[in-house]
Amino acid sequence: MLETRNITINFGGLIAVNNVSITVQPHKITALIGPNGAGKTTFFNCISGVYKPTKGEIILDGQHLEGKRGFQINAAGIARTYQVINLFWKMTALENVLVGMNSRLTTNFWDCLFHTKKKRAEEKLIYEEAYELLKFVGLEQYANAPAASLSYGKQRLLEIVRGLASKPKVILLDEPAAGMNTAEKAELDILLKKIIDMGVTILIVEHDMKLIMNVSDYIYVLCNGMLLAQGVPEEIQNNPEVICAYLGGEE
Amino acid sequence: MKFDKKPNKLILIAGLGLLLFILPFLTKLIVGNQYPLLIMCIIMIYIIAVTGLDILFGYCGQISLGHAAFFTLGAYTTGLLNMYFNLPLFITIPAATVLTSVLGALLAYPASKLKFHFLSLATVAFGEITYYFLYTSPGGFTRDFRGINVVGISFLGEDYLKWYFFLLFFVVLVLLGKTSLIKSRTGRAFTAIRENTHAADGMGINVRKQKIIAFTVSAFLTGLAGALYVHLIKYISPETSMQKQSVLFLTMLLFGGTASIMGTILGVVSIEVLMEAIRFLQEYQMLFYGILLLIVIVALPGGVYGGIKDLIVTIKRKKALKALNVQKAADTGKDGAE
Repeated sequence: MLETRNITINFGGLIAVNNVSITVQPHKITALIGPNGAGKTTFFNCISGVYKPTKGEIILDGQHLEGKRGFQINAAGIARTYQVINLFWKMTALENVLVGMNSRLTTNFWDCLFHTKKKRAEEKLIYEEAYELLKFVGLEQYANAPAASLSYGKQRLLEIVRGLASKPKVILLDEPAAGMNTAEKAELDILLKKIIDMGVTILIVEHDMKLIMNVSDYIYVLCNGMLLAQGVPEEIQNNPEVICAYLGGEE
Repeated sequence: MKFDKKPNKLILIAGLGLLLFILPFLTKLIVGNQYPLLIMCIIMIYIIAVTGLDILFGYCGQISLGHAAFFTLGAYTTGLLNMYFNLPLFITIPAATVLTSVLGALLAYPASKLKFHFLSLATVAFGEITYYFLYTSPGGFTRDFRGINVVGISFLGEDYLKWYFFLLFFVVLVLLGKTSLIKSRTGRAFTAIRENTHAADGMGINVRKQKIIAFTVSAFLTGLAGALYVHLIKYISPETSMQKQSVLFLTMLLFGGTASIMGTILGVVSIEVLMEAIRFLQEYQMLFYGILLLIVIVALPGGVYGGIKDLIVTIKRKKALKALNVQKAADTGKDGAE
């Protein structure tokens, strides 16, 4: 479904990501793990169009995405969340979700200005849909609260649901469990599976090993910008190279 | 625009309409001359201009320090078309707004790549260019520093009562358009860009395109205000495109409160009335703008309207708390009795 081929990202001499090829299978949870500074977030930013890859290809269902800009990639069907929460703080939770729907709306500027029938119909529809989406993650009672007033864990959930609002094929989750308490993490576990059931494929970066080993179908391990290992969770858990990378080298 | 079909809201709108209808007759009756009416007309023109600035700065977060240039260009286009070709208002005003919109889009195209203070520098430069162009135009077709005096332009003459209703029509139209635009995907895209440009891009918003749209709409409205201004005042000079006028618009917007309709209205009314009241201190105008801006930035970051809203929230919260305490006291009283 989503495939990267030999992605290399160079920051003026520093090679942040080196020749990484991964394949994300549809309706599965694929995880990307690795020690700090391994290049996971850089790789994510590359897929979502923040950076352009120096070399390599990104293909979603046969469509080449390398070098496209962020909003085009969103329209192509890849949504994302951020490692550092990037909500629209002064907008309400509901409005955040509405913004997330942007790339699949059909009204144009003149519809917006003249309050046409088409706009009114679309607005009514998307307000209901956005409310349903908030319900999906249990935030419906905060619909009219500014995003900034939510707790950290709820802000993470809002980011996920804002990403889902564009009805993506793939959603990239960058450390969704960071800052969540134990109860929220347990709920996240269930939520990820519910997202898969919706028909959305997940590519996740996460440091919480318990969560990753629980939910992932396939894992890629990144270290120093290079692919170190890949496999199902059991294989990764028993891979000496991975253990070495995480716990420090011992010959 | 979504009207809840609540009777009290309808009554409010009807009441406001009635007030706006009798206000000019009342002031004319009380004061006995047309001067307050003229001020009201100018206020309405500035409301249109500042609404333009609010869409760009308040909602989309793009600061412009050269908005007076659009205002003046709108005024000059109308005035010159009338002076040279004797064209009527229903041609000159659309022509002026088309020109300022196009200029706005052209300025926005490169400017949409610029971030905050670089953008504001670009808009300062635009204001300066406009000023010097009008001041020393090729062949002197703008009459340079003398400005243009277009006596024959005014189709409503000196009867400011007629002007009042003519301009009120435009203000209502503009504010309805603004409300509709803001409560739509376009308005949400503007706000998203202001709040977090990076995330807006990630959510599928074409940031550059939306910035250009915001700039164009803004230039359209401010140009329209300028075109109406020259019809009312019958005179415009290059001085209006100077930094002072741009700062006036910005002061009005920030004083009233950004990103709202009431804020714009409150800001324009209070600053304009204040400026009229201290007209004898005209040389110190810029000083007053500076002091007002400082007060607002330090003490009332949300402007007067933001301050009022905060106050209402605080009062409501206090009331709720009081009610809660009374309830609690009643409960404990009951417990004690039992």
